Amino acid sequence: MLDFLARNRVATLLVVLVLTYVAIGAAAPGYLSGATASVVVSNSLVLMLISLGTMIVILTRNIDVSSGSVLGLSAAVLGLSLDAGVSLPLAIAFCLLTGAAAGAFNGLMVAYLGIPSIVATLGTLGLYRGIMLVLTGGRWIEDLPQNLKALAGNLGFGFSALTVVVLVLMVLVWLGLRKTHFGRYFYAVGDNREAAHHLGVPVKRVQFTAFIVTGICAALAGLVFAAQIGFIPNQAGNGIELKAIAVNVLGGVSLLGGTGSVAGVAAAVIFITSIDSALVFLKIPAYWNDFIAGAILLSVLLLDGRIRQIVDRRIRARRYAVHERSPAPSAETTKTQAVEAGR
Amino acid sequence: MSDGPAVRRVAKLTDIWKSYGAVPVLKGVSLTLQAGEVHALLGGNGAGKSSLMKIMSGVIPANSGAIEINGEALAHASPAAAQELGLYLVPQEAHILPNQSVLENISLGLTASPRALRSRIEQLVSELSVSLDLDAQAATLEIAERQIVEVLRGLVRDARVLILDEPTSALTPFETSALFQRVRKLQAQGVGIFFISHKLREIREICSRISVLRDGVIVLSGALDGYSDAQIIDAMSRVQITEMPGKDRTARKISQIGKPRLSVRGLSGEGFRNISLDVRAGEILGLAGVVGAGRTEFAETLFGLRPQMTGSVVFDGADLKRRSPRVCIDHGLVYLPEDRQQHGLFLEAPLFWNVSSYLVHRLPFFLRPGAERKSFNQFRSSMGIKCADPGQEARSLSGGNQQKVLLAKCLSVRPKVLILDEPTRGVDVAARNDIYDLIRKLAADGVAIVLISSDFDEIEQLADRVEVMAFGQSGGELTDNISVDSIARLAFGASEARHA
Repeated sequence: MLDFLARNRVATLLVVLVLTYVAIGAAAPGYLSGATASVVVSNSLVLMLISLGTMIVILTRNIDVSSGSVLGLSAAVLGLSLDAGVSLPLAIAFCLLTGAAAGAFNGLMVAYLGIPSIVATLGTLGLYRGIMLVLTGGRWIEDLPQNLKALAGNLGFGFSALTVVVLVLMVLVWLGLRKTHFGRYFYAVGDNREAAHHLGVPVKRVQFTAFIVTGICAALAGLVFAAQIGFIPNQAGNGIELKAIAVNVLGGVSLLGGTGSVAGVAAAVIFITSIDSALVFLKIPAYWNDFIAGAILLSVLLLDGRIRQIVDRRIRARRYAVHERSPAPSAETTKTQAVEAGR
Repeated sequence: MSDGPAVRRVAKLTDIWKSYGAVPVLKGVSLTLQAGEVHALLGGNGAGKSSLMKIMSGVIPANSGAIEINGEALAHASPAAAQELGLYLVPQEAHILPNQSVLENISLGLTASPRALRSRIEQLVSELSVSLDLDAQAATLEIAERQIVEVLRGLVRDARVLILDEPTSALTPFETSALFQRVRKLQAQGVGIFFISHKLREIREICSRISVLRDGVIVLSGALDGYSDAQIIDAMSRVQITEMPGKDRTARKISQIGKPRLSVRGLSGEGFRNISLDVRAGEILGLAGVVGAGRTEFAETLFGLRPQMTGSVVFDGADLKRRSPRVCIDHGLVYLPEDRQQHGLFLEAPLFWNVSSYLVHRLPFFLRPGAERKSFNQFRSSMGIKCADPGQEARSLSGGNQQKVLLAKCLSVRPKVLILDEPTRGVDVAARNDIYDLIRKLAADGVAIVLISSDFDEIEQLADRVEVMAFGQSGGELTDNISVDSIARLAFGASEARHA
């Protein structure tokens, strides 16, 4: 059981999630319902997209703290294009292109110009937000067309079109990372960059690609944001990058690169969003949210750390125990050898 | 250089130049490698061997010159391109992806999926007669196993040109001979191999041609049989190697039998059990055995790095019960770790910090760098550490000099008992002889030395007495008639029987 939990952060999270649900359900009957599930899923979309993108960059042992601004910038491009009378599909294309370009610029600086990713993306965090403000003139973009907002509407089974898009994207990322040979490279580059280079992995191209994918994910998040909220405030996406990093840690993605899975991130996003919605449901004042989310994050990490320690100790003990047993038959031979050598 | 037209050429380097900044490392090196040839490449630390091999395998670009592999030019420096042309470099320090499985580590960079390669890799593993769990996480591998992973990477790629950069430095004699059999097989298949090693005995065993690099130029090249060991060493270092002292071993031993400095009784811990030994002042006790015999674990337990289960350690008459590295240091029991990059040195820190690092707890609250530099400079002149400045980063030194700095760090404690774990791993011949002299001198000054080494030649040369460990247990003791053969028989006689 412990072994399983240690090897499987997703499982730990699910166990904690179920326990939490049971507790909340007991405290507030009526919480556990299809309606809640639907709300949680749609509330989690933006964070899911940003976290997924951030995970890909973290896998390569980089970090991206600019995705909040990329979200804002691409949402602004979307809104402004729509305001200018561009058709919805074309506006969405512009939005995604903006994200890709912003990611490419991050990737260029990190992979090809050798700027540490934390520095480069801290720079663009400000830069992209600045460009967004210049473009919008500091105004909020309101009166978004109805066909955009309709994307967030319920398709009839509790899911919106956007939910479907996000689910498809998750499956694609999962397939890409796990089942393709380029996907393996993301893990390899993050695990040991020098070794990867040595084995013929195109290290720079892999890092560059990771940042572009992250940019596109952030742009998609911008689209979801605009469609769900119906307007685009100046601070759209502000601070979400840090939340995404926390989600990654919670989901078992190592900040040192090389480990992590889509399932872990997805479970962590659902977990965090459920907590938020539960607090609303329990009528706990909103200013408690950050405190409780932080406390829960820390407790899960502590629990996980303890489990790992216990399992590590067990593996060590087992390893040396095998050692103790195996020499028994060979001890005789060693002795005879010693006697021979002594002669 | 006889270029027989019948023999196919698999690699050719022409007039390679390389400099780092203003410092030239390679000054117009040309080399050729025939199919089925094992070509020894020797050179002291810093002679340019590694740079040459990295250039050849595309890891770093050359300033000028041409590289031809399998008849095709390597147009731009990229490991992928070089591997495409059929060249693989097995580096000295294995490149491991710690979070991936062993299987994924081996098959990374290949187009075939790990699952498809599994049976082939399993076959190679059994041909090398090693045991390796392909599903283990690579972080759990020991140094020797990591090196085997690298060798497997080269083999599974079906390379036509293999560069083996000190492949045996962490292998046991048994694994080494299995590797050599494999090399001969490859040779018969027409694979050309560059073999880099500091061990002349191995080179004699496996290589047919030799090239010696010194200061970025080839100073000696030709058929190996045409040169004597002395000629090769002379060409390599231009340092005349004096005839090994050490034949006076017996004479010294008689004069210096004292009471034990360190006695260990029935010590058991992680990976070893019931080990007892005594070391006397002025004695060099060789602790021999194959990799994985539990010697390093034993040493680390002595030094308080690992928990002990049973047994006692008596140091100078006092029972050392709760050992921690600091307690050991304060008593004068010092350990020189096996892996100098990971456990030994602070690579980014200045040299003089490194040397005083065992004594940090005794330094004054406000540091006096002047005094630390002075103490470093004393070691620098007495040990012949080649460096520009005491404030230089440890990373920038060559392997041999790094090892000397590590030794200086241990000596700064003024040890009474010194445990040396593989003190000459990855060190060139000249520096190795310096280190041997130093060890002898320390023993002559009354330090008790425990010398852990997998290089049985080294034990034979240095040790007054040998304890052998096998499978975590005491494998026997040799007091006189210490020879490579007798050590080997104790150390892995049993393991040979098991493998056979």
